Amino acid sequence: VSSDLTVTGADRLVQQSRERILPGTAPGEDLHLEIVGEGDFATADMSLSIGPAHPATHGVFRIVLEMDGERVRTATPVIGYMHRGFEKLAEYRDYRQIQALVNRHDWLSGFSNELGVALAVEKMLEMEVPDRAQWLRMLMAEWNRILNHLMFIGSYALELGAITPMFYAFREREDIQALMESATGGRLHFTANQPGGLKIDVPKGFLKRSREISTITRNRLPDYKDLVLGNEIFHGRTKGIGPLPQDVALSIGVTGPTLHATGIAEDSRVTEPYLKYGEIDVPVPVGENGDAYDRFYCLLHRIEASLDIIDQIHDHLPSGPVNQKLPKMVKAPEGSTYVRTENPLGQLGYWLESDGGRSPWRLKMRTPSFSNVQAIPYLMEGQLLPDAISILGSVFFVVGDIDR
Amino acid sequence: VTDVLARRDRALTPEETEELLRDRLGDVVQRSVLEYGVFTLWISQDGWQRAVEACRDEPLLAYDLFDNLFAVDARNEGFDVVTVLYSTSTGNRIALRTRCDGGREAPTCPSVTGTYRGANWMEREAWDMFGIEFVGHPALEPRILTIENFEGWPLRKDFHLVSRLAKPWPGVKEPAETDEDGNVVHRVPQLGDAPGPYELDKAMAEQAKIANRLPEPETVEGEQVERATVESDRTEDTGVPLAGDVEQHLEDDQKLTHEADVEVAAQETAGVQDEAKRKADERRREQAEARARKAAERAAGDEEEDA
Repeated sequence: VSSDLTVTGADRLVQQSRERILPGTAPGEDLHLEIVGEGDFATADMSLSIGPAHPATHGVFRIVLEMDGERVRTATPVIGYMHRGFEKLAEYRDYRQIQALVNRHDWLSGFSNELGVALAVEKMLEMEVPDRAQWLRMLMAEWNRILNHLMFIGSYALELGAITPMFYAFREREDIQALMESATGGRLHFTANQPGGLKIDVPKGFLKRSREISTITRNRLPDYKDLVLGNEIFHGRTKGIGPLPQDVALSIGVTGPTLHATGIAEDSRVTEPYLKYGEIDVPVPVGENGDAYDRFYCLLHRIEASLDIIDQIHDHLPSGPVNQKLPKMVKAPEGSTYVRTENPLGQLGYWLESDGGRSPWRLKMRTPSFSNVQAIPYLMEGQLLPDAISILGSVFFVVGDIDR
Repeated sequence: VTDVLARRDRALTPEETEELLRDRLGDVVQRSVLEYGVFTLWISQDGWQRAVEACRDEPLLAYDLFDNLFAVDARNEGFDVVTVLYSTSTGNRIALRTRCDGGREAPTCPSVTGTYRGANWMEREAWDMFGIEFVGHPALEPRILTIENFEGWPLRKDFHLVSRLAKPWPGVKEPAETDEDGNVVHRVPQLGDAPGPYELDKAMAEQAKIANRLPEPETVEGEQVERATVESDRTEDTGVPLAGDVEQHLEDDQKLTHEADVEVAAQETAGVQDEAKRKADERRREQAEARARKAAERAAGDEEEDA
């Protein structure tokens, strides 16, 4: 430490060597700085922990950012705060009880979660599910998808500083939730499926109301497009931010709107049709660049796609029974199967392995959020801190779906 | 979407897939199972990484979407690791399965993180849940889903669900509690499995008692002892008031005044309480009288009607 160096201005500082010496308050106490970054100003590495409780993380999710000034050097998600051991619990329940268990991990897509397990059990039992049950399952799964996407449209805009879309989204959500409640009794956890069909048929007037809400929601969609996609600030915050290349996305196992944004139209409803999706036209909106804007674009346009599907279902829905008489105890035969369904956030896979007993030997849940969140370290690397939040929200995930 | 569906013509059948992989890998492929629409190939441990790589890199297979990787308890033979791969170009899906080396004591499996990025967390999860060490994985620690310092491997079959052992399922809804015909069989916890309900209750009651224990009231004796000590320090009375003494006197005075206040307040409170009690009694008495009156009237009315 030397005290003879006097500093007159920033220009002079820059011209000095990379080691900076600033005068202290007393001789011999000068401040010694070392330039770490590339810029002209002295920066130092800093560790920034976002979460576990942060509004942008939708639950108890933590991400540790190693910052170089305003740039993110590495991002490390820390998960497991909401681990509830569903896979273990499922081994202690029979197949009907599991329905009430699995609709909880992704609390925004309860119906779609149940559906996978019911399909897996039916596949192993080689059960013929009545047509009406299959069409109704599709109808409810699509309404559930819209519920989920509306939530994310509202919350993503909120994370970027816009509060109005949230109110709009909840206005629509309320109608749809009331519709689902009238048929199932639940608003989030529907528990409407059972192996072999649905628990009960939909009530009188359900289809009429479903048609009405479909029209209302379709008429209100331009509001969202104008309000969010037509917003200059939104463009600035999302366009070109966090682009995900196709090969990286596939290697990680990213699915759902996040994969569609990269331009790959991989959607189980089209490529591996289950229920009656093979008999109708399923539009899959795709993006081009795989950035935050495209991810949001796909999410928003999937609502329109779902409404198209719903309208087709209204025209196709046959009459008849919605379930079949089950034995006192449903037992899947020995063996294993894998069922993959297109959940709102991506592809949900259930590996069901049975030893012939009344509970599964192993029920592995492949949840879309778990795989999608793995892309976050890749996406955030080298980005600015404000963009990190924009990226975090654009990889749509539910923490319960990650941690199970 | 139409592109994807058009390319389906080139998709290999499971038999062709197996033939191709046997041709490329040799004895590494052990056997194949096709059940419930899922094609599973059993792979030997030493060829695990090569097999996964071949599935990705063979142009005819092109399993590009990493779907899933997890472990399954294989009873006495140890553990299996399964990975599910999907091809976005052909629409085929394959499950590769291998039995881990090392039995139940120290299961190990080669890591495929070099082939698929997504295997990183999946393998960490399998390690967290089953204790399978993936050789070549960058960092299995810290445990991904369970808490730090968690002991045991939760998804192994010898890891019991403690809550089920300690507290039976309410009603008879637990599948394990009924026999083949649906009759109730009460499962008796094995000694040493987990604390039974009785012990657990006792322990909880003990804990609750400790947690709810009130602070011990300060005894008057304690104060006296203290004072005595203070006085015994001043055995040598010089007759001259010490500086400390004056302060002590002042403090004592204040204390006395305060105590008097408290006493007065207590008396007042007692008075108010007495008043309230008296009023409540009065009200109760009035109500009782009113009830009695009504009952009498009703009785009289009944009698009249009877008459």
